[in-house]
Order: sequence, then C-alpha cells, then structure tokens
Amino acid sequence: MDALALNLSTTTSKPYQQLQTHLIKSTISLCNSRIYCLCYKRSLSSTIITCKFKTTKQNRESKSKSVAKKIVVSDVPPPLSEDGGVARNGGAPPSPDRNNTAGGLTLKLLKKLQRRVLGVLSNLPLAIGEMASIAALMALGTIIEQGEAPDFYFQKYPEDNSVLGFFTWRWILTLGFDHMFSSPPFLAMLVLLAASLMACTYTTQIPLVKVARRWSFLHSAEVISKQEFADTLPRASVKDLGVILMGAGYEVFLKGPSLYAFKGLAGRFAPIGVHLAMLLIMAGGTMSAAGSFRGSDVMGPSGFLSNPLETFDTEVHVNRFYMDYYDSGEVRQFHTDLSLFDLEGKEVMRKTISVNDPLRFGGITIYQTDWSLSTLQILKDGEGPFNLAMAPLRLNGDKKLFGTFLPVGNSGSPNVKGISMLARDLQSIVLYDQEGKFAGIRRPNSKLPIDIDGTKIVILDAIGSTGLDLKTDPGVPIVYAGFGALMLTTLYQFSVSFTDGTAVIVGGKTNRAKAEFPDDMNHLLDQVPEIVESSSTGQSNSSSG
Amino acid sequence: MIFLTLEHILTHISFSIVSIVITIHLITTLLVNEIVKLYDSSEKGMMATFFCITGLLITRWIYSEHFPLSNLYESLLFLSWGFSIIHIVPYFKKKNYLSAIIAPSAIFTQGFTTSGLLTEIHQSAILVPALQSEWLIMHVSMMVLGYAALLCGSLLSVALLVITFRKDINIFYKSNHLFNESFSFGEFQYINERSNVFGNTSFFSTKNYYRFQLIQQLDHWSYRVISIGFIFLTIGILSGAVWANEAWGSYWNWDPKEIWAFITWTIFAIYLHTRTNKKFPPANSAIVASTGFLIIWICYFGVNLLGIGLHSYGSFTLTPN
Repeated sequence: MDALALNLSTTTSKPYQQLQTHLIKSTISLCNSRIYCLCYKRSLSSTIITCKFKTTKQNRESKSKSVAKKIVVSDVPPPLSEDGGVARNGGAPPSPDRNNTAGGLTLKLLKKLQRRVLGVLSNLPLAIGEMASIAALMALGTIIEQGEAPDFYFQKYPEDNSVLGFFTWRWILTLGFDHMFSSPPFLAMLVLLAASLMACTYTTQIPLVKVARRWSFLHSAEVISKQEFADTLPRASVKDLGVILMGAGYEVFLKGPSLYAFKGLAGRFAPIGVHLAMLLIMAGGTMSAAGSFRGSDVMGPSGFLSNPLETFDTEVHVNRFYMDYYDSGEVRQFHTDLSLFDLEGKEVMRKTISVNDPLRFGGITIYQTDWSLSTLQILKDGEGPFNLAMAPLRLNGDKKLFGTFLPVGNSGSPNVKGISMLARDLQSIVLYDQEGKFAGIRRPNSKLPIDIDGTKIVILDAIGSTGLDLKTDPGVPIVYAGFGALMLTTLYQFSVSFTDGTAVIVGGKTNRAKAEFPDDMNHLLDQVPEIVESSSTGQSNSSSG
Repeated sequence: MIFLTLEHILTHISFSIVSIVITIHLITTLLVNEIVKLYDSSEKGMMATFFCITGLLITRWIYSEHFPLSNLYESLLFLSWGFSIIHIVPYFKKKNYLSAIIAPSAIFTQGFTTSGLLTEIHQSAILVPALQSEWLIMHVSMMVLGYAALLCGSLLSVALLVITFRKDINIFYKSNHLFNESFSFGEFQYINERSNVFGNTSFFSTKNYYRFQLIQQLDHWSYRVISIGFIFLTIGILSGAVWANEAWGSYWNWDPKEIWAFITWTIFAIYLHTRTNKKFPPANSAIVASTGFLIIWICYFGVNLLGIGLHSYGSFTLTPN
C-alpha cells in the first residue's frame, strides 16, 4: 500500500514570520511565480510517475539513509525562530575549532560575545519593551512642559507636594525631561531600538530568507506524523496533491516519494525592508540633528538677511511682502517676494514664496512661516508722517492682534493719555479714543481723516513684516528615502499577507497554525482532500488525525 | 443656501438610518437569530448611511470649496464615513462579525457630530494659510481612515478579551478541556469540514466550538482591520511629515499631535509583533490593541481638546468665544 503522509497546516500571513524551514509564505498574485510553477509541473511530471508506485518498504529504506543528512537541516530552524532565546542557545553552527592559539581563543570569545549580544538584542520582548518605553517617554514629554526655565519646574513639581508621591522636579532636571526629545534616556532608548532592529534583521530575518530557498524533505512517515495536524490519506497520489498545490500557487518540489511545497519567498523580504526603512529614517534623523541649521528672522520689507553660514555665501533680499484676503476679510495667504544675490551682487534667484511653497536654493530652504505688523505710518494734524511701531498683543495662531499708541497732549505728564490703534491685519485699523471708546475704523491708503477729540489722524500705511525660516538639513534626502521605503514595504507587506494567508506543507510544520484559520484557508483546505479523494476513485476516504 | 439645506437633510437621514440599523442589530443579536431578512435590511441600511454621509461630505466640499477635512466636525464626519466604508467593503465578500462592532461605532460618532453639543464647529471655516496644500487631502484622509480602521480593530480585540474573559469565568471547570481544544484546533476545524464523515459532537460540545470559533474570527478580523489601519496610519504620518517639511520647515517638530500619532503607531507596531509571535497568547495582542483604542482617542480627541501645538486647527472650545 502506498501511504502518503499529508500534513495540512495553515497559517495566516504575518508581518514578521517565524515559520520554520519548510514553510514559506507567498504571493499568489505575482504572475511570474505562477509561470514558474507551470515550468516545474512540466519537468516534474515524469519523476512523479516513477515515484508514485514506490512501496512503503522502499520509503523506509530511503528514509534511514537520509535521516543523518536531514537532521542538519532540521536543526537549523531554531536560529530562525523570532525569539532570541532560541537563537542564542540553539543558534548558529558552532565556530570551527581549528585555532587553538590564544588569538584564536580571544577570537572565539569575541565571537561568542558577539553572538550573545546579538541574541539579547534580537530578543522580541526586549524590542517590544523598548518600543513601549519610547512611547511612554514621548507621552511623558507631552505631559511635562518642555523647554521651560528650572524655576518653572521648581514651582510646578515641588518636593513637598509631589505628583504620585515621588515625581518631583529633581527627576525632571536630573533625567533631562525638561527637554525630553533630546534627553539621555530617550536618546539611549532610540539607540537601543536601532540596535535591536539591526540585530533582528541580521540574526532572524536574513536567515529566514536564506533557508526559504533551501528545501528539505521529510522522508520518514513517523517524522511527518509527529508534526501538528498530520493526516493520512491512504492510496492517494503525490502527483495529484502536487497539481492541486500548484493550482493554488505553490512552488512544488518532488523528490522520491516526498513532496515539498512553498509559497511566498517575497513575504520574507518585506519585514527586512520595513526594518531597514526604519533604520534609514533614524539615520536621516541623526544627520538632521547633527548637521542641520535653522534660523528664523522677522524682516520688514526690503530687508537684508546677513549670511547665516559660511557655506551659504548668498544674500537674501526681501522685495515685497503682501497678503491675500478672503471676501470675509480674513487672511488667506501671505507671500514674500525674495531675491537671492551672490557675492558679486548678481541676482541668482527670485521667487515669491508663501506658506506651503518654500524657496530652495543650493541646500538652503527658505520658508514663509509668519508675519506681523511692524509699523503704522500716520499723519497727525497734517504733520508727519510718523512711524508708530506696532506691538503684538496676541500671537495666538492665525488670529493675531497688533496695537500701537499715539500719545496726545502733554507728553511730560505721568499719566499719558492717547489714541490706541489696533489691527488684525494689514487691511483695517481700529481706533479708540483717550477714554478707550471705539472711535472708528480706517483703511490704510484711504486718505480719509478721522477726528478724535480734536486730533486729526490720517493713516497712511500699515507696513507688515515677514517671518522667514531659513533652514539647511542634510538629513532630509535620507529621511525621505526611508519614508518611501517604509511606505512601499508596509504596503507590500500587507498586500502579500492578504493575497496568501495559506501554506500547505507536506512533511512540514507550521508554528502558529493552531491559532489561525482565515477564511481563505478554509477554501483551500476543503479543496485539497476533495480532489485527492476524487482522483483516487473507489478508495476509502477515511482519514485519521 | 440650498447646499446648507441639503446638508441638513443628509445629516438627519444618515443619523436616523444608523439608529434604525443599530436597533435591528440589537433585535437580531439579542432576540432572534433567524430573521435573515431583517439582517439584510440592516445591511442595506448601512449602505444607505454610507451614501448619505458621502453625499454630505461632497455637499460640504462643493460649497466650502475645499476638501472637507479642515476642522474637527468634518473629520468626525469623515471618521463615521470611514466606519461605514469598513462596514461595507467586507460585506461584498462574505458575512462576518464586523457589523456588530462597526454599526455602533458609526452611530456614536455620527450622533456626537450631529448633536447640539458642538454646534459652533458645524459651520465650515476658511482654510488658514498653512492648510492650503494638496497634502491636506492625502494626510488628513489617511489619518482619519487609519483611526477608523484601528478603532474598529481594537474594538474587535476588546470584544475578544471580553469573550475570553467570560469564558474563563463561566466554564472554569472546563478549562482543561478548552486548553486541549485550543491546542488542536486546526484538527477540529479540519474535522468539521468533513463533518459528514465524523460527527463532531463526539469530541466537544458544539457550543464551545462556536465560541472558540468566534474568538478565532475576532482575532483574525481585528488583525486584518488593524493591519489596514496601520498602513493608513503609516502613510498618513509620512505624508504629514513631508507636508510639515514644506509648511513648517521641518519634517518632525515634536508637536503633541505628532507625538501621539507616533505613540499610536508604536503601540500598533507592538500589536503586530506580539500577534505574529508564537510565544505570546492571543490575549496578549488583544490587550495591546485595547490600549491602542484608548491611545487613539487621546491622539484624535484629547490633543485637540487641549488645542496646543501646531495642529490647533482641529481644536474646539465648548464655550463660544
């Protein structure tokens, strides 16, 4: 009797797989993999026929020969599993003992140490702990006020009335939580996480891909039946199963009486990609932190910006600053007309920038970030023009308020009274008289005088100033590359996991099969025994678990 | 004016339909399981809600002349739209347990947005200069869709936890039996497929089997939905970073909203790691997802409530100022 041991096991797609040697996940959707399957189908058909009628006795013989070889292969899986504990103990093959010299010994020790460190770092619970503590520190960073003077913390977190009974300013200042995102604990956590990412990629994910390319056959019926969910279909043919599996998008390999099928080599590359993208972003962030320069400046119209950097030998000249308004009178957008001059005074670039539309020139980016009212030009009783400096009264987001004050009468007296002028934008100025009562609204350039307690005032102009941010950041390209990679790999990862979700192994094993039963899988599971049964017509379809 | 009326009508229709749907759900789940027609009508109701909210958003888009995601009200509308779309997409494939979770989520957000509590934020505001960018559509829609999916997924995980916990209490004496069952569940599943050959009653009670199957389904669906939400969240955060580099001068400003979005991202990254690792029981990942539920609300609402940082557009004040 030709008994074929079948292992039907299922697994859902996982973003970070830890399946063992024989199981690989797949993309059915990739058309070239399908062509690949078809090729195999053709080339294998002859071998199937020959092996199909092998008796159990022969199976046993071939098994006993191959077992010794097999053990090597099946011993490899432990380092592939995701947790570091196994990776440490059962880890990589022992280093060759050829060198007995002292140098060799230290080398061995070093290697051992390195393996140990890698094992600890690639430990998943540790990585999860790191992520959790980073999240907790960041949350703390939003709760504790950042960047205040020490006095603030003395008052907010006093020692005699501490938060939660122990949290005082001492903690904050010692651990640097007043500047959380550059504090030593936070940075140390990030470095640790980066190390973990690297270690995990090196010790776990890359070997996973390597092993996936190898395939192995379990020749022994006992070994197979020891696997989870072993099932026996008496008098079924390997060929039929192979065909079904190919139809389901598996790559099927037959050797002797054994069959090995896998899907989805691609699924194993995605997690590596995600981790590398994260590392890339972290590297870019470090570069930004180390090599970036950022300065902001508020300039009036036709202002000059002195050279902020030695490398940037360009002069920035503000030609004009103006604002757009909605019909309702609210600020729509503000623009600054900028010119860049080189050292010879030649204009090299000119651009009108606005919020969301910065100027980029030779690694330097100039942003429009802010605006304010700097000066109000008025005529008082026909005299002037006087320039009154405007002071910001409220700079809350986009609802700004500026004010200025024109003293009236005897300026020597201690109680100076005068006219207050308030403005929200460059469009209209609200005037109040000496008692603080509303006097009227005037537009600049309207030339319409307003008479307040005998003082005639004409508002000539409201002069705004532009807030510019100047920045150079060498890390941006790297960070963007990381962003792109992260986006693509995340998308890819999950598209892979959604198209497959199944893996059928003959003579194989899956780790998580017991817990996951996606609907897609049920369909395939249904199919496999059905067709096998139908192909072996007239035979009993009993099965045993 | 006609747009305002239309918006008003659509708001009320969607809210009423969602309430009807949830009533039907309660009836079907609590009282009778057999009324299939009623169940179907609730599905149709959700579909109608989806179209209503879509119409609502489009109306708002037309008359405000910008993508309707500039303040909290609009983003809440979008959130309930996201819920209804999550509800509808799997409906075309096959039946699942999602609707029982999502329909109430949709009704709560929809009810909250349309309630009188926040009338001041209803009128669509003008776009401040920093929001005038094409990135608005990409960033905010991705974020809100991500929140919707992640909320659904974590709610499913909460449901899983509740069921698991209840199981432990109710049939504690059977725990050993269940333990075995969980180990060889695949086997049972397989046997069930071939139940014409074997009666499955000989191994375990049908009731326990269905309960276990429900837990499996919840686990599976919460994983899938969270995965989708995670993609959206990733894209949302990254596009937000690119936008911030255009508008604010740096791709990462340690703004509270950014930080909390990143915390959310980290929490769900932890979820995905625990879920895929065989060493952790499924309840662990469910606990992580449940904490994620709270964190999304802090990120989405709590930070807005404070109205601090650069993301102050979505903030609201309960007292008119």
